[in-house]
Amino acid sequence: MLIGGLLIILAGLMAFFPSMTDSDTTVDWISLPLVGFPIIVSCILLAFASQETRARKEVIAVPIRLFTLVASLIPLAISTALFFDWLILVDWDLMYNEYALEKEYVWIESIGASWHVGMDGLSFPMVWLTTFLVPITIITTWNEKDGATYHPLLLMMGGALIGVFVALDLFLFYVFWELTLIPMFFLILKWGGKDRRYAAQKFFIYTFCASVIMLLGLITLYFLQPEGSGSQYGTVTGRTFDMTVLFSNATAYNMGDSVFLGKDMQNILFAMLMIGFLVKLPAVPFHTWLPDAHVQAPTGGSMLLAGVMLKMGAYGMLRIPIAIFPDAVVYYQDVIMAIGLISLVWGSIVCLGQTNLKKMVAYSSVSHMGVILLGIASMQPIGYAAALFMMFAHGIISPMLFAVCGAFKHHYHSMEIGAMRGMAKWSPYLAVYMMFAWMASLGLPLLAGFVAELMVMIAFWPEYGWWILLPGAVLAITAAYYLWSMQRTIFEGGDEGQPPESLNGETPPDITLPENIGMIILAIFTVIFGIFPFIALGMMDQWTVAFFEGVFNLGGI
Amino acid sequence: MSGSEIIDYAVLIPLMPFLAFPVILFLGRLFNGTPTWVKNVKEGGIIALTVMGASLVLALLVIKEHMNKVGAADVFTWFESSWWNSETGAITTKVFGFGIYIDHLTVMLLFVAAFLCFLINIFSIGYMNTDPINDNRNHRFYAEFVLFCSGMLGMVLADSFLWLFIFWELMGLCSYLLIGFYYERPSAAYAAKKAFLTTRVGDVFLVIGLVMLWNLFEPLSGSQGALSYAVVFDPENIAKVNSGDLQLALGMMFIGAVGKSAQFPLHVWLPDAMEGPTPVSALIHAATMVNAGLYIVARMFPFFIEAELGALSTLAIAIAIIGGITAVMAALIAFVQMDLKKVLAYSTMSQLAYIFTGLGSALWLANNGYDDLAAFAMGASLFHLFNHAMAKGMLFMASGSVIHEMHHAHHEVAHHGHDDEHHDDHHDDHFDAQSMENMGGLASRMPITATAMFVGSMSIIGIPLIGGFWSKEGIIASAWKVALKEPIFLLPAMLILIGAGMTGFYMSRMWFMTFAGKPKTEVAEHVHEQTPWIPVPLVVLTFMTLSAIVLAGMHAGKWLGNFKSGHYTSFIDGIGYEMEHVFLNPDPFLLVLTYVAIGLSLVLGPSFAMALYGGSLDGDQKAKPWMQWAISLSARVNKNSKFDNTAWANSSLATSLHKRLHFDDVYDAAMLKIVVGFAKLSAIFDTKFIDGVIKTIESTSQEASRRVRALTTGSARDYIMMTALGTLVIFILLWGVA
Repeated sequence: MLIGGLLIILAGLMAFFPSMTDSDTTVDWISLPLVGFPIIVSCILLAFASQETRARKEVIAVPIRLFTLVASLIPLAISTALFFDWLILVDWDLMYNEYALEKEYVWIESIGASWHVGMDGLSFPMVWLTTFLVPITIITTWNEKDGATYHPLLLMMGGALIGVFVALDLFLFYVFWELTLIPMFFLILKWGGKDRRYAAQKFFIYTFCASVIMLLGLITLYFLQPEGSGSQYGTVTGRTFDMTVLFSNATAYNMGDSVFLGKDMQNILFAMLMIGFLVKLPAVPFHTWLPDAHVQAPTGGSMLLAGVMLKMGAYGMLRIPIAIFPDAVVYYQDVIMAIGLISLVWGSIVCLGQTNLKKMVAYSSVSHMGVILLGIASMQPIGYAAALFMMFAHGIISPMLFAVCGAFKHHYHSMEIGAMRGMAKWSPYLAVYMMFAWMASLGLPLLAGFVAELMVMIAFWPEYGWWILLPGAVLAITAAYYLWSMQRTIFEGGDEGQPPESLNGETPPDITLPENIGMIILAIFTVIFGIFPFIALGMMDQWTVAFFEGVFNLGGI
Repeated sequence: MSGSEIIDYAVLIPLMPFLAFPVILFLGRLFNGTPTWVKNVKEGGIIALTVMGASLVLALLVIKEHMNKVGAADVFTWFESSWWNSETGAITTKVFGFGIYIDHLTVMLLFVAAFLCFLINIFSIGYMNTDPINDNRNHRFYAEFVLFCSGMLGMVLADSFLWLFIFWELMGLCSYLLIGFYYERPSAAYAAKKAFLTTRVGDVFLVIGLVMLWNLFEPLSGSQGALSYAVVFDPENIAKVNSGDLQLALGMMFIGAVGKSAQFPLHVWLPDAMEGPTPVSALIHAATMVNAGLYIVARMFPFFIEAELGALSTLAIAIAIIGGITAVMAALIAFVQMDLKKVLAYSTMSQLAYIFTGLGSALWLANNGYDDLAAFAMGASLFHLFNHAMAKGMLFMASGSVIHEMHHAHHEVAHHGHDDEHHDDHHDDHFDAQSMENMGGLASRMPITATAMFVGSMSIIGIPLIGGFWSKEGIIASAWKVALKEPIFLLPAMLILIGAGMTGFYMSRMWFMTFAGKPKTEVAEHVHEQTPWIPVPLVVLTFMTLSAIVLAGMHAGKWLGNFKSGHYTSFIDGIGYEMEHVFLNPDPFLLVLTYVAIGLSLVLGPSFAMALYGGSLDGDQKAKPWMQWAISLSARVNKNSKFDNTAWANSSLATSLHKRLHFDDVYDAAMLKIVVGFAKLSAIFDTKFIDGVIKTIESTSQEASRRVRALTTGSARDYIMMTALGTLVIFILLWGVA
């Protein structure tokens, strides 16, 4: 069934494969190299592996793994090269609604959907992050069972996620948005823990329901938009899914005192779209799918889920509803702030009450995602840049958190805090990584997480004043649950030696070489982006300035 | 900035140790256990020493250049971000940069930090590398040690409150790691967590204060980051901001300082922090990191000078009162401590509180237009910081020396007793090498250590002419000067005056219990001073402490207090001035005050201590002449005025002092019972209620679908029936609409 579905998707992609409109001869660095390649390669590998017997699968797992790793390194090389201008000169200092490496192909002309991709300061960091995390995840979970299908699924996940970030067409965006669910669903279902069936279903149904609401919003938006003609508008409907056209229309209508689609309609559509994104983020009270999914998901799935998939929600908010409905943002500003604060505080308090390591880390994600909402509600470029940087920094730190949890589970066969004490003695490497990741997550300066928290608080104060005590309290609570869990895992009990019962008297092992490599790379990048945040923030700052010029700074707000 | 000035290289002072951190860790991982690594490199100790030596040399060059010159240099732009003024629509880019800023305050603390880091590094090589319990983990110690030094040096040199905070947190991390150095001990794990969390509470307020400060100065800062000293200390900018808001922001920052400098009510972490190795206690928890809070308060001085007259007085009074309360409270708890290091820990707390009171006075005076008096008070406070850092660093190292040799001696004794069974029995028994109840009579057996302890204690007590005396008198005098103008200041002024006598008691008690009298255990009889490396810093610091008169003569206090230009007169004149100023003050009130303070600290406190704990050495033992008189005197006082203090020892106050006035218990209970309890309930609520609602929706919809499915009976008769009904409904609807 799995393979059949994938083949159908592949066939669909082939059949609809867009054709180029103009005689643009520059190389398309996005469609095939970053999006198509990982998906196609993984489909081929999956199709190949599905033909083999169980015994043969064990044998071919090694070459397939290696091949997947190499294949995942290619997009990483390309995106890194694009950042450093090694391939072509890319100008990242863009105006609002301008995109680098933009490409458009005719796709479904009748409804005005096209294969339109491009990147800007909002999407490029996320694209790079995805290309970076996929190989790291593959390395860290090198020894996962049934590697012949597991690793290609990770690769496919990466391709679909990049698709979400580069899509400049609502239709395309939604296709990739749902496509990301499929590999994740199978990752949880097939490699998950005891209750994986329940978790996978819950994950799928929950996020899918939210997506449907979002889809309704998108379609309403599609039909309500002003009709037009020309190559971008559908030949039958006279409307377009093209985001760039929508954005420029919205900007034009939002100018001065007028409001695109009217105030009430803006508010309704904004709310519909936001629900879809808030569930993905996730924000309290729509967060309960996350702990279940994380606890049951395999390490690799968790790493990608927390690292990139949650950011789809934040990315979507900034890309679509906030850009099109600036008046609604102002209208809902306090609501967004309230949801952000509630997520932040509730997430951290629930963390403190957890005894399961992975669940604690999952709730800490909820808490950190609240920071993004605070940044958005602050209505300051520095707050938006903070939200962007939070997405990016959390995208590096949280995979490390889950890698540590995965290694813990893998080696001690338990996820309970306190099952293993004196890790510093038995597994010094794991202890160091754990402490590092925990410290990074609690926002220690000179590690990536701190910058965003500082910026958010700076942006928060002028709008909301003394409410700042709540995020402040969260800083302390976050420190409390992380330190508390460290005290009970890394420290203590070295002399008496309390290996967990689940080990049945064996000597507790240290982590394996692949885990070591994966985690040390993540640690190094956490330090790099903590000491030199300008590497990523430069682009983000330019984007926020352009965004404010193009969206909010039109007068009338 | 033309050519290459020394300040352009100042960034290397923190950078070198920062880079040494991964190097030592990595090499340690690689070569752990090999003979070269252990013998020649001292498990990383030599690398650390080289780096700290280089930092010290560079720091001295910088100090030489900038003794009298304020300097600043940009290093790099950390990041840039933008600010939107929604009214004008202007978007400004704000630079968050890192740079070096050097003035008098920096110079002084830079010297303290670089010098003590170097000396304590020497001490560590002697202390850490000769203890078998540290085998194979010393590289971790040295790595964290240099990282800490980098944090301290960076904090002092940074040119903005933002980077001050960043290095501040870096120190907090190192403190956490080093307190938990013996990770296998539950007490160490607990202490490390407690230290980090308690200071974190303060840090939260510090961050909020910084955010408020940033937003206050944002409109005035242009494209500069609003937390850089260049922006916030600009008198024009200070004049423009609302002083009420400024006071709130500074007050929040002060709470951060309270946490870091272990003041009431966030003081609970410091005594527990003594779980760390002794060099760590000496460096981090006595001489440098705990001064960070003082440093940030001292940095606020320009605000108080430039702000509206009297607008910030409330904060200045609050600072002084917190200081006064802590000074007495910590001294009281120190009365009953038996653990050598804990006495010193409470003493640290108490002395830092003195400096806070002094700073509070200085800030009050500055804010009320008494600039000269403020400069004097500021100078006295900072000079006390200097003296205290030197003396307390030395005291901790000396206590480390005692503990180390006690360990050795205990080892020896135990080894002799059961020669065949014992190999490495550090944990087999419960001998407490830190308890003063096991010591006594060590003055003759450890002459260098005893001398260092003697001089250090005198400096802390404030015995005339030695070290801390000069600065402590200045602080007390300043506080009283304010008290004459502002009645509420009588409280801290009175408290620190009483505290002076209490200091005299607990410091003397510590010294006499450890070094005078007869050895209280067999172990104490076998103690020798034998470990290499350890005496070096002790000797150096002893002379340093004794020579405080030289610095005082050089008008150190006046120079420190003066933020605009230094004053130098001839050295002899300086000493004469100081002597006259202290002992023959023309102001009769201050003259009396000085002699009251001297009486309390020199006569009252030590005589009580002698009466209770004094005693002569064993007959065949002889201490060095400069200590022998004190021991003989104590024996005589002890004999002549023996009094029974069991009533006091059994009193409820003494009991609660043993329990540290219940602060720790209350905090722990609040944390465990209330916060964690609430969190546990929240976790249950989250799964049962929030998720429960979702599950109910799900199960209801499943139930509904089951009902609907029940309609699919498969019988043609039912379907025809339904079709007919449906058609009827449609007709009725159509009819109704029509």
